[in-house]
Amino acid sequence: MLKKINYQSFGLVGFYLVIVIIFSALSPVFRTAGNFSNLLIGFSHIGILAVGQTFPILLGGIDLSVGAILGLVGMTTFDLMLIFGLPGYIAIPIGLVVGLLAGLINGLLIVRLKLNPFIVSLATMASFRGLVYAISGRQLFPGLTVMAIKDPTYLAIDGSLGHVPYALIYLIIIALITYFILHNTKLGMDLYAVGGNENAARLAGVNVNRVKIAAYLISGLCSAIAALILTSRMTTSPEGLGIGFELSAIAAAVIGGVNMQGGSGSTLGPVLGAFLIGTIYTGMNLLGVTQYAQPVVAGIILIGAVGYDQFMKERRRKELQAQLLLQSLRMKGQGG
Amino acid sequence: MDEKVKRESAGFNRREFLKISALGVGAAALAACAPATPADVAPAEGGAQSSKQAKDSYKMTFVQVQPHTVSVAWGQGIEEVSNVQTNIEYKQVDGQGDPATQINLMDTAISEGVDIIFCQPADSVALGPSIKKARAAGIPVITLNIDAPEAHAAHVEMNHYFGAIDIAKAMGELMGGKGNVVILNAPPGIIIRDMRTNGFVDGMKKHHPDIKIIADQSAEWDRKKAQDVLSTILASGKEVNGVYGVNDSMALGAVDVAKTKDLIGKMVIFGNDGEKAALESIEADELSGTQYTDVWQQGRLAAALAIGLATGGISATSFTNQGHILMPYVIATKDNVGSIQAFQRW
Amino acid sequence: MKKNILLQARDVSKRYYAVQALSEANIEIYSGEVHALIGSNGAGKSTLIKILTGAVVPDTGEVLLNGKQIPHGDTKAALDAGIACIYQESNLVPTLSVMDNILLGRQPTLRMGVLDRKAQRAIVVDLLKKHDLNLDPDAAVQSLSTVQQKEVEIAKALSLNAKVVLMDEPTAWLSQVEVEKLFRSIRKLTDEGAGVLYISHVLDEIFTIADRVTVIRDGKVLLSTAISDTTKSALVQTMLGRQLSSEVNALQQEQAEKHLGFVALECRQMSRAGLFQDVNLKVHRGEIVCITGLIGAKRTELVRTLFGAELPDSGEVLIDDKPAHIRRPLDAIRYGMGLIPEDRRRDGLLMNLSINHNLVMAYLPLVTRLGLLAPDLFKRMGQFQMDRLGIVPPHLEIPARNLSGGNQQKVLIGRWLAGKTGIIILDEPTVGVDVGAKADIYKLLRDLADYGTAILIVSSDMEEVMTVADRILVMARGGLVASFQKGRVTQEQILNAASGEMVQ
Repeated sequence: MLKKINYQSFGLVGFYLVIVIIFSALSPVFRTAGNFSNLLIGFSHIGILAVGQTFPILLGGIDLSVGAILGLVGMTTFDLMLIFGLPGYIAIPIGLVVGLLAGLINGLLIVRLKLNPFIVSLATMASFRGLVYAISGRQLFPGLTVMAIKDPTYLAIDGSLGHVPYALIYLIIIALITYFILHNTKLGMDLYAVGGNENAARLAGVNVNRVKIAAYLISGLCSAIAALILTSRMTTSPEGLGIGFELSAIAAAVIGGVNMQGGSGSTLGPVLGAFLIGTIYTGMNLLGVTQYAQPVVAGIILIGAVGYDQFMKERRRKELQAQLLLQSLRMKGQGG
Repeated sequence: MDEKVKRESAGFNRREFLKISALGVGAAALAACAPATPADVAPAEGGAQSSKQAKDSYKMTFVQVQPHTVSVAWGQGIEEVSNVQTNIEYKQVDGQGDPATQINLMDTAISEGVDIIFCQPADSVALGPSIKKARAAGIPVITLNIDAPEAHAAHVEMNHYFGAIDIAKAMGELMGGKGNVVILNAPPGIIIRDMRTNGFVDGMKKHHPDIKIIADQSAEWDRKKAQDVLSTILASGKEVNGVYGVNDSMALGAVDVAKTKDLIGKMVIFGNDGEKAALESIEADELSGTQYTDVWQQGRLAAALAIGLATGGISATSFTNQGHILMPYVIATKDNVGSIQAFQRW
Repeated sequence: MKKNILLQARDVSKRYYAVQALSEANIEIYSGEVHALIGSNGAGKSTLIKILTGAVVPDTGEVLLNGKQIPHGDTKAALDAGIACIYQESNLVPTLSVMDNILLGRQPTLRMGVLDRKAQRAIVVDLLKKHDLNLDPDAAVQSLSTVQQKEVEIAKALSLNAKVVLMDEPTAWLSQVEVEKLFRSIRKLTDEGAGVLYISHVLDEIFTIADRVTVIRDGKVLLSTAISDTTKSALVQTMLGRQLSSEVNALQQEQAEKHLGFVALECRQMSRAGLFQDVNLKVHRGEIVCITGLIGAKRTELVRTLFGAELPDSGEVLIDDKPAHIRRPLDAIRYGMGLIPEDRRRDGLLMNLSINHNLVMAYLPLVTRLGLLAPDLFKRMGQFQMDRLGIVPPHLEIPARNLSGGNQQKVLIGRWLAGKTGIIILDEPTVGVDVGAKADIYKLLRDLADYGTAILIVSSDMEEVMTVADRILVMARGGLVASFQKGRVTQEQILNAASGEMVQ
């Protein structure tokens, strides 16, 4: 019994292990616990963003505003705690709500105005980022530029259990929950249906609009969670926090096998994709590859990962053809 | 009878679940089991050790914000000095303008067990926890230009505040003591922005109270952005007699605009940093002046300090607050720019 | 069984652009009966179906189920009320499994939206067994053949336990065996009291399965009667407004000067592993050759290989007796070949572009001046083609997706007529095309052949093969097994050859 998921994640996991082995062999520091711990710390938030991004991409859409939402949520909690003096356990839920609202705005614009998700999320990316600067506590009260968040509840968000960072734990929980949603609930089934053939889904009575909004809500929520983790780590929220993260998230998702045309992919691949990206950069860093060459090398390795995936797909397609032939030859005997 | 053609199951796959849980647990287990740090340097947790043994070679890493004339020049200064020492490995890494990336780079450097970290924080507060971590691991951190609130080895900076006062003084003189000034500023949230701006404002107040600052807008340290911002302000019809670019790139952007609108000579433009391009512009009678700091020298001084600390075996845990080194500077204008030698122009 | 009106459309009208697609159409479907709906393409059948299922909002009129009115434009309401439909286009989600497609949008759930896989599987397996459908519930739909995909669509409609099932050309891709399976399922449905609306062009089928028949022409219902009260030719006459058979005979009698003797297209020893082996065929100038065979005989793969869409493992192709190096379709086109593929939507027409664009696009150099598109030439060529092909509705700017199947096919053929195409390959050209359009297309092809074009047609339609071919090739199990001259063979002989028995 051959499963499609198996092939994809097998290929990706295999590729990932090869990369890890190569770097471990070349750099003694790479294979230390400390380094893996850093990797997990440094890229778990990208993994969370990538998992969130999976949902809009499954619909054949995209969410370019995740970085901006991240900045917005971070700045919101920063302001709430340092300007208004609210405690962490109040600021945290409000931050999550802000992320959901931002996702809702994306979803509503796409569904009601029937606009292309690329354009909508590009616009909200700019608007949310502008909002971040506008509400920036550090701009309104320059003294806050040197003040750190000290709320213990908030700071506890980004800690570790020995060498295992909380961020990884959050990531694993989120990945498992979203995996469950995608494969075991009606919402997940509807998501795949809308992504695979929106018209068919609509004709079959699926509430397409609700499904779309749900996808962007999830993406926004994941951005919020990533924001909490990062601002807790930094004890502040820079205005530019999150700029460029959306590209890493999308890259991780695509490497993880989420098809940009919609309808196929899962949330476990993006996790691997995020760590693959992180591993490559960290590895190059430790090997002393000059910083100017790093993006080039990373690009080549990533093309390799995606290219390999395509190659496997093509091979599977040919095998399928052969199987169909066999099947039809056998059916011929029944007078087909 | 039906042929078992390839199946696709969108259903819950126990195997898949286990595989990924295993990966997650495996990663954690690997992290927990493998040896913690390289053998030579014993980590100074909580100040247990205040000195280290001498070593054969030392590693230094510079975590910059992103490649820029200033940080590249620092790197060159550092390398100049460290190359002459025996057995110093120096590496410069790119923070991509993002504090989160810088934190990750700091973490990596700490795991590598480097002996010195130079850091140009992209955000003062955000890098604080990382610096604290470095200190706990016994690694001295030297910050360049942008300080951070956690105690560390030293902070080597251009003289932002007082230099800005002197810029205001010189600029006001060239403006004849009156007129309108526009400030092309850095994005908010960076401490040197405030220092360079406050110095300028205080300086104007003290020396040339009749000069009015009519605009203070962010041009994001960037020459092109500065062109756009200034053009917009000029288009609004206000009279502008002076422009202060909080760094040279922005000031040069203002010069570009002045050239196209034929305002050279009518507008006094000052920058800050003292790059080669700015000095040449002063000599060409376009830029009116800048605060010149020998950035190579800044790098060399930082390196010297670092090498002393590293080879002297001083652990970071012994620092109670950071040392502070201010760089000497010169307000360079047409009169004195010639005295800045070629080997000083970075 | 007591017959009462289940589904009814009353005085329904709909206008698109300048065209009145339906005007005051009425139709009644009784419980326990199969009601056939026939008419030329463009006559309004698809529009009527879409109104009945809520996919399209009518301008006037209402739809009633069991006497109660159903809200317009609400597909969910129609589904809930018990109206199921098998559309002509595929409404499956290719990445999902058979099981998930059959119960699309209606998968059973436990608490909190969690899917109840066990219940779902039970329902699906039960359904497949009941209707004798040989499908693997876990197979991905995109891995199935076209025929199997159609069966999934049928299962999907049947699973709705609908009161009324509408079927738009359900047998288009099915072989004889599967058609019989479908008919058995239909009879099961009517036995249980459901009503079936059956749209088809195959008059034989209609006379087999239907109880009543309605004829639509130009948006108006012209005739509605019991099957027993009418004949095939009466229906055809009502449908077209003229006699058909004479046209078909005339075609057979038209034998213009042939350019026989010049071999336009030849392939030797062509093989592709797992598909076909050692195929040798020739098509002469002015000749129409039909390749027929059972479904799965790999004819499409053969012609795609000839055209360069796939590469053969061995063999060579000669055009006009000279070796041709065809590595991709562009090469084939340069040699003067044209291909009209099986799936016109996916592989042929640019659905969102206008008729004009689609007609002219293969030969843009002919309508440009100095590299810039000349709008007057563009329009003139388009108009010329459109008139010649008899495309309905005759408006150049209409996007291709709004045309009926037959007209789309004409546009595709028309595309290749614009330039110097010496060899045209057609793959199942008249599937889903009504009788009138079929005749037009055959005449077109005959005209082309008389003009000197070599034509190769892949067809599973025996009637078509017998009508239009000068020479008939039969392909079976990946090889060419027989060759017959027109007029010297019977359908039975062809079928025998196709199933691999000895040829006389």
